[in-house]
Amino acid sequence: MSQSATLQRVQAVDFYGRLEEEVREHSQGTALLFLYCAGDSSGSEAELSEVQSFVDQLSGDNGKVLQDANYGVMAITLPGYSLDAAHYQALLLKQHLQGRLGEADPRITLAALTETPSMQTMKQMAESTRLSTSSDIHIFTQEEADREHNRILIVDQDATVREFLQIRLAMQGYETLEALDGLEALELIAKWEPDLVLTELNLHGIDGLPFIHHIQQLDVKESPKIVVLTEKRVEQTISQCFQNGVDDYVTKPFSPVELDARIRRCLH
Amino acid sequence: MVTIYYVMIVSVLYFVIMLFSFRNIKDIFRRAKYSTYNTLSGSELVPSVSLLVPAFNEELTIAENVRCLMTLNYPTYEVIVINDGSSDETLKVLIEEYGLTLLPNPQIRGKISTNKVRGIYYNPQYPQLYVIDKENGGKADSLNAGINLSRYPLISSIDADSLLEKDALIRMARMYMENPEETVAIGGDVRIANGCVIENGEVKDVSLPRRMWPMFQSIEYMKAFLGGRIGWSHLNGLIIVSGAFGLFRKDYVIAVGGYRGGYPGEDMNIIIKLHRYMLENKIKYRVAFCPEAVCWTQAPDSYNILSNQRKRWGRGNLKNMIENRDMVFNPKYKIMGLLTMPYNVIFEALNPYFRITGLLALLGYVLLDMTNWKVLVVFGLVNFLSGYMLSVGALILEEIAFRRYTKLSDQVKMLLFSALKFVGYHQLGVLWRVQGHIQYLQNNNSWGTMTRQSWKDKKEAA
Repeated sequence: MSQSATLQRVQAVDFYGRLEEEVREHSQGTALLFLYCAGDSSGSEAELSEVQSFVDQLSGDNGKVLQDANYGVMAITLPGYSLDAAHYQALLLKQHLQGRLGEADPRITLAALTETPSMQTMKQMAESTRLSTSSDIHIFTQEEADREHNRILIVDQDATVREFLQIRLAMQGYETLEALDGLEALELIAKWEPDLVLTELNLHGIDGLPFIHHIQQLDVKESPKIVVLTEKRVEQTISQCFQNGVDDYVTKPFSPVELDARIRRCLH
Repeated sequence: MVTIYYVMIVSVLYFVIMLFSFRNIKDIFRRAKYSTYNTLSGSELVPSVSLLVPAFNEELTIAENVRCLMTLNYPTYEVIVINDGSSDETLKVLIEEYGLTLLPNPQIRGKISTNKVRGIYYNPQYPQLYVIDKENGGKADSLNAGINLSRYPLISSIDADSLLEKDALIRMARMYMENPEETVAIGGDVRIANGCVIENGEVKDVSLPRRMWPMFQSIEYMKAFLGGRIGWSHLNGLIIVSGAFGLFRKDYVIAVGGYRGGYPGEDMNIIIKLHRYMLENKIKYRVAFCPEAVCWTQAPDSYNILSNQRKRWGRGNLKNMIENRDMVFNPKYKIMGLLTMPYNVIFEALNPYFRITGLLALLGYVLLDMTNWKVLVVFGLVNFLSGYMLSVGALILEEIAFRRYTKLSDQVKMLLFSALKFVGYHQLGVLWRVQGHIQYLQNNNSWGTMTRQSWKDKKEAA
């Protein structure tokens, strides 16, 4: 598993590296467009060739199509296009794809560049394309790029708790994902690399201290912070958790305000 | 004539016991539904438990079993696996899975004598888990070794081929905490996992076994546990806490000298010893049954293994009855001496002989024309109907309180097999018990083969 994770990262670096070069060449007045087709056919050959043929027939022939092999997200550069022109082309592209590939459900994020964006911003755009739930074309603004997106993974088997935390944290501008059990959480941490894991100790599959150990041993760039939010109030467990590098420990029932403050302190 | 009276008494007794079960089912249902186990499972006030898992040649199921036990919903507990000199890779599987190393100076507190302990394995990353490696000495000996190492005041014995539901232990502890002074043992509800989908040490999807033998056992267990034990525990006359899942006060288990080795039926034996000890010392006590604490176990799915298991049970039961014959009809032992023990001797241990002689007598009457065949048919029908009603009663209990089997097809299947049970399976049960008794007389003392299937194979087979 760790091997494939490394491979994924290499591919990702490769994709963003090439994209950055591409953008740098014509940094002025270029439109950058990310495309992701939800559904089974995502990232298929047919899709790529459709997009390629669409870009090829545009005037101003420098358009480039790149694809991230991991997720199937495509990046399209449209040099010399202003935001409204690019938006029009994006609409055409969407229509084109929907016409050619029956079940395609394209998600598009669009930005008009004034300077070369950082790799982080491009990743953010790709991500928001991939996780978008609406088929409207999303225009990615400077403001959005500036906002700091800390990622929090919520792990709890109780759906009510997850929902509450998810809504509350999302309102504060955190990006969140949810996991039901220990094994799913470990998989998501490796894939999504959250900044903080907010977890119950009592989970299915794997739980408690072994779960904490596994998080810390995952092959990720930066180990996530761990905040435990649990029913367990046994002193010994709490002290063992802190000894094993847990950043904070909050017991249920909890005060949401206190939890917010503790999470903020962990992240900054 | 004796036979007819016998059958009548048995049926009446069964019905009375089941009536008690029905009386209690509402409480059980509410207890299972409205208790806040989550809050309880985080509390410092819940007594800590040592889980003892004796394992002899369990390489196929042990990993899944331990994974299940490590994620129980319980505040403080430890899992002690006792490798009873397995000839397969049981120990190696555990060492590799959890990266265990030999503890240099293990601290063994208990003093019950057991076979030689070769070593204790541990990994600080999994602070709840201990593995004892010892020389082969049987299940009772392994449990005693586990008791010696255990740190906590309660012990729970769990079979290595069983999986606990996440809340099972806390449900039991809740029952214990209702009355910690008097409770000496609590039994759990054992169900058959064959046919269920098992994933990561838990039962993901409940359905009935596909094969015939486990299916019959499923019905049988349900009847015994829901129809029988709830009622018996109401009278405080439980004679057995299943070896697959039970909770005990360690101090009393030690006081009665731990488990008795050298003979099967150690689970019934320990309960009889506890009853005896408490009654002789005039201590108020109860042996409880907690039907909402569920343990899923693997049932033998072939004729040979099943017959071995049943012969062993027959043998163990007879041995326990003979050893404790002084308790039978002895008013000193109250319910135990006046009801439970006589019931077990007359209606369990001697059951086959009554049935066989009765059947022969009836056949004789018919052949000699002393009575006509209609009587025989009526007798058979009444017998069948009363038995069937008991099974259906158990199913109704299940439906009122637990509803583990949600599919309609499963429920129809249960009704069908409850009836089919009387054609063949019951008679085989009688035969196995007699064979067990013969083995006892021959001094055959072995445990018999008990082959396991990996939970994974099971999943594919199901």
